[in-house]
Amino acid sequence: MKRLSRIMTVVLITMLLVPFAVFAQGDTEMVTEETTGPVAFEFWSTETQSDRQATIQVLIDTYEALNPDVSIKLIPVDENDMAAQLQTASSAGTLPAMIEIGAENAVAFGVDGLMNVDATQALIDRVGADSFYEGAMKLVESEDGEPYALPYHGWVQGIWYRSDWFEEAGLEAPDTWENIQKAAEYFYKPAENQYGILVGTKPENYAEQCFTPFAMSNGARLFDSDGNLIFNSPEMKEAVEFYAELAKYNPPGPQTWRARDYYLQGKMAMFFYSTYIMDDLSLAEVAAGSLTAENFSDLAGKDFDPELVDHTKMQPLITNTETAGYGVVVTMGLINQPDEAKTQAAADFLRYLYTPNAYITFLHMAPGGMNPVIKGIASNARYQNDPKGIFKHYGPEKMAEISEGMNDIVSFSIVDGKKINAATEVTTQQIIPQMLYKITQEGMDVDAAMAWAEKEMKALLD
Amino acid sequence: MVIHKNIFKSIGFFLLVMFIVLFSLFPFLQMLSTSLKHSWDWGNPSLIPAQVNTSAYKELLNIGQDEKDLPESVRILLEETPDLTEAQKESIIAKFKDSGDIFPFMKYFRNSLAFATTAAFISLIIAIFGAYSISRMKYRGQKLIQRGVLFVYMVGGILLLIPLYKISVAIGLAGTEQGTVVSLLIIYMVQTLPVSLYMLGNTFRSIPFSIEEAAFVEGYTRIQTIWKIIIPLSLGALATVFVYSFMIAWNEYLFASVFLKSFKDLFTLPIALKALFVSKNAIWDRIMAASMLTAIPVVILFMLVQKYLAGNMSSGGVKE
Amino acid sequence: MQKHLTLEQKDARLGVKLVLPALSIILLLILYPVGYNIYLSFFDVTMTGQSTYIALENYTSVLSDPTFWKSVATTFTYVIFSTFGTTLFGLIVAMVMNKKFPLRWLVRSIILLPYVAPVISVVFAWQFFFDPVNGIFMHFMVDVLGIYDQRFNLIGSPSYAIWVAIIFSIWKSFPFTYLMLLSRLQTIDKNLYEAAEIDGCGPVRKFFSITLPELYFVMGSIVLLRFIWNFNKFEDIYLLTDNVKVLSIYTYFKAFTGNMDLGQGSALVVIQFGLLIGLILLYVKKVLKW
Repeated sequence: MKRLSRIMTVVLITMLLVPFAVFAQGDTEMVTEETTGPVAFEFWSTETQSDRQATIQVLIDTYEALNPDVSIKLIPVDENDMAAQLQTASSAGTLPAMIEIGAENAVAFGVDGLMNVDATQALIDRVGADSFYEGAMKLVESEDGEPYALPYHGWVQGIWYRSDWFEEAGLEAPDTWENIQKAAEYFYKPAENQYGILVGTKPENYAEQCFTPFAMSNGARLFDSDGNLIFNSPEMKEAVEFYAELAKYNPPGPQTWRARDYYLQGKMAMFFYSTYIMDDLSLAEVAAGSLTAENFSDLAGKDFDPELVDHTKMQPLITNTETAGYGVVVTMGLINQPDEAKTQAAADFLRYLYTPNAYITFLHMAPGGMNPVIKGIASNARYQNDPKGIFKHYGPEKMAEISEGMNDIVSFSIVDGKKINAATEVTTQQIIPQMLYKITQEGMDVDAAMAWAEKEMKALLD
Repeated sequence: MVIHKNIFKSIGFFLLVMFIVLFSLFPFLQMLSTSLKHSWDWGNPSLIPAQVNTSAYKELLNIGQDEKDLPESVRILLEETPDLTEAQKESIIAKFKDSGDIFPFMKYFRNSLAFATTAAFISLIIAIFGAYSISRMKYRGQKLIQRGVLFVYMVGGILLLIPLYKISVAIGLAGTEQGTVVSLLIIYMVQTLPVSLYMLGNTFRSIPFSIEEAAFVEGYTRIQTIWKIIIPLSLGALATVFVYSFMIAWNEYLFASVFLKSFKDLFTLPIALKALFVSKNAIWDRIMAASMLTAIPVVILFMLVQKYLAGNMSSGGVKE
Repeated sequence: MQKHLTLEQKDARLGVKLVLPALSIILLLILYPVGYNIYLSFFDVTMTGQSTYIALENYTSVLSDPTFWKSVATTFTYVIFSTFGTTLFGLIVAMVMNKKFPLRWLVRSIILLPYVAPVISVVFAWQFFFDPVNGIFMHFMVDVLGIYDQRFNLIGSPSYAIWVAIIFSIWKSFPFTYLMLLSRLQTIDKNLYEAAEIDGCGPVRKFFSITLPELYFVMGSIVLLRFIWNFNKFEDIYLLTDNVKVLSIYTYFKAFTGNMDLGQGSALVVIQFGLLIGLILLYVKKVLKW
């Protein structure tokens, strides 16, 4: 007992001392960091990767050095946590002044009255309303044309595929419904643990992102230009059925974008992804660098292709009765603040982020993934000379095609050039992904699932 | 016949033990294996890496890492901002290079350790007095407290999240680093106190009254008996309670993710791991290595105290 | 006599003083949130903080939603099987560890690992293990043993995921149960077994007539705690798989995703709380005989 009590005393004392040492250290760090100027505000960014954080911090530091009385706190928030964090902050009155979010969310939050429309409009005028791509601008506007946020960058989605496999099999590029289905079926070999395609089947945004171009390319819409719900149409049903058919050539179970790993490992022929994959592919190239000739010969994971980058091509548009692609605009939003000085300071900082120098620095964090929504940047020589050599690899034409895609992004929320906000709400409620999940994973009949989705949409509109 | 039966029995017993061990260990084997694989090897179902790769650990522990390169875009940005002084440029560059750690493991580890030990220690102290009071003393409401205390667990974490965050913002705690630390510590205490009170109460009750009475005769006060009689006699249970509270704080995710969001320097291992996971690159070796490193310290701590745990939990869970 | 009384009163006052810190922390941090949630559950709460009183509408819309009832059923499946499995497995392990065998100290340390490792650090390994394409589990089942002829997604599919979550819960919490039971096992008087042996009782008989009754109250308490903990379990399930919609997860999604209905979320929480209290009171009366 004596020995035990001695040991316990030692343990307890050490444990007691450790935390105080740490917190004491924390205190001294606090003092040096505290540079509270007259205006301080928070900027929540969805760029959670540490290297991107570091680059954004450089932009902030530069701006702060030029404007010593402003202090900006950069806070990374994962996209999936954004709503919960905003909710908590809103009920506690600690909302950020500036936020980076997808256009759909910006509109949803805007409808809820969270976004500062006046400050946004004023800033758009300062940057120059003409300098934004009209297509991107449309996505952030209310039905009356009031902007909820400012478009900042965007990505285009496409089908990425193994061009070497396609060539060998004599298949055509996956550009039409027919070609996609043929290839998916051909490469689907579950016995060999190889899959034909990846389309989203989990009830989350990725499923809707994959589904939208199919619906669009079949002329199916959620609403007509008068805002009437026309979801339950024969065109929509065809698209849903086709999507369910494609999902059969998926890796097993509900899948989302994370399954792109299977492609990188050489176990999948096609997958839907944004241009951000360019970044990951170049990473795969780095990984291949660790493969030396002698250990590659007897490598068990022979599925892995060290030349994957060269064997990958991208098909941005899908054709059936129409041609459609898909993309997302990411925005910078100004959130209503009790203290107007904060909004003003955030707007000034955002204005700085639109200056070409700062703007290109931002976009170059993920070349290919982040595409400009400001005219003239795509042809800018500095922009084209990207750090990862993606322009060089894919060629200026392909990159121009991608950039131009930003101007005519299709979305359920724009019909004949008119904005339908109800469609945005359908998207944020993830009704379509849930429907696709019910069909592909729970085995629900297409008609029943569509009837369910229609009921949900109607309930939402009331 | 008897020997045969014994052999079968032994083999059966051995297999049972093996099963228990494997069942406990398999996720850790998976973790270790993936953390040592190269990315081109992730797709292989084998547990043994085709080629051992320790770079993830080196990266996390910051062993032999080169200084971070300044990206072209950042260099141009600074060059083409003529209003910046040289000193300002240098300080910005220095800060950028300093932020190079992808996952400053040691910092997060220190934070987690600090939170967990402080919370466990304070909770233990408060629980000792509380448990002594409800198990050894008589006053109105004592029975009610004794029985009611476990009912706290019926309140799920989600229910507490928003109101608690709201309070701590309202009284100004959530705005500063120190305040956030205090709020989180108190929240961890609430989650550990009920079980601590319950387990310690049961232990204290099992100590014969006669010992305490003898102490009173000797002229000890209540407080003195607690220090000199009760605590030394229940060290095992105290260790158990401490470890239990430590674990809750060490593992907690939900509250930490909301409260610590704005204070990257205070991140505990669980939220740092989650942040690593949601960053978009495929970095399984790093995630698994970080998971390994997160698990190891608690495992060692347990190995050190476990000798005293089982034997001394004594009446830990016994009623009356 | 007079003096004795004041001593007792003094003692009582000291008792209250000693328990006060613990009690006040608990009351303050539990009662306020509970009250706050009950209050919120009568309002339609918007993101901008304006709330309108809507009486019982949140409750009626929650209760009339079939997905709510589905998640109640999921919760019960999860709680019952995980509690039962944890207790049973914990008991088996406790019996095994109560026997002497070589390297027992090492085994005892190893089996604590699941309990001590942070949830967040082990869920990735579980996900990897059960990954349909790259995971070892499917590799063994399909390619090596040939038990199934096709790979499937155990951890992701709506029908299997709950069982993975249950096994995960058993895996994660059996060491706690085992520790509690073992410490009680070790205090059982050896003479009882010897006496039983003289009476000619076999091991099965000994287990049922000595071991089990001796463990009754410990097990009762452990089952109670496990039941409560698993009923409110959020992190373990949320981090492992997003396909098991028990009440706490359902509430989280309701309050924090989509159109973020905090009012309905609060109503859900209140219902969950009420449900649990009812069950517990019943249990405490019947099983623990308090």
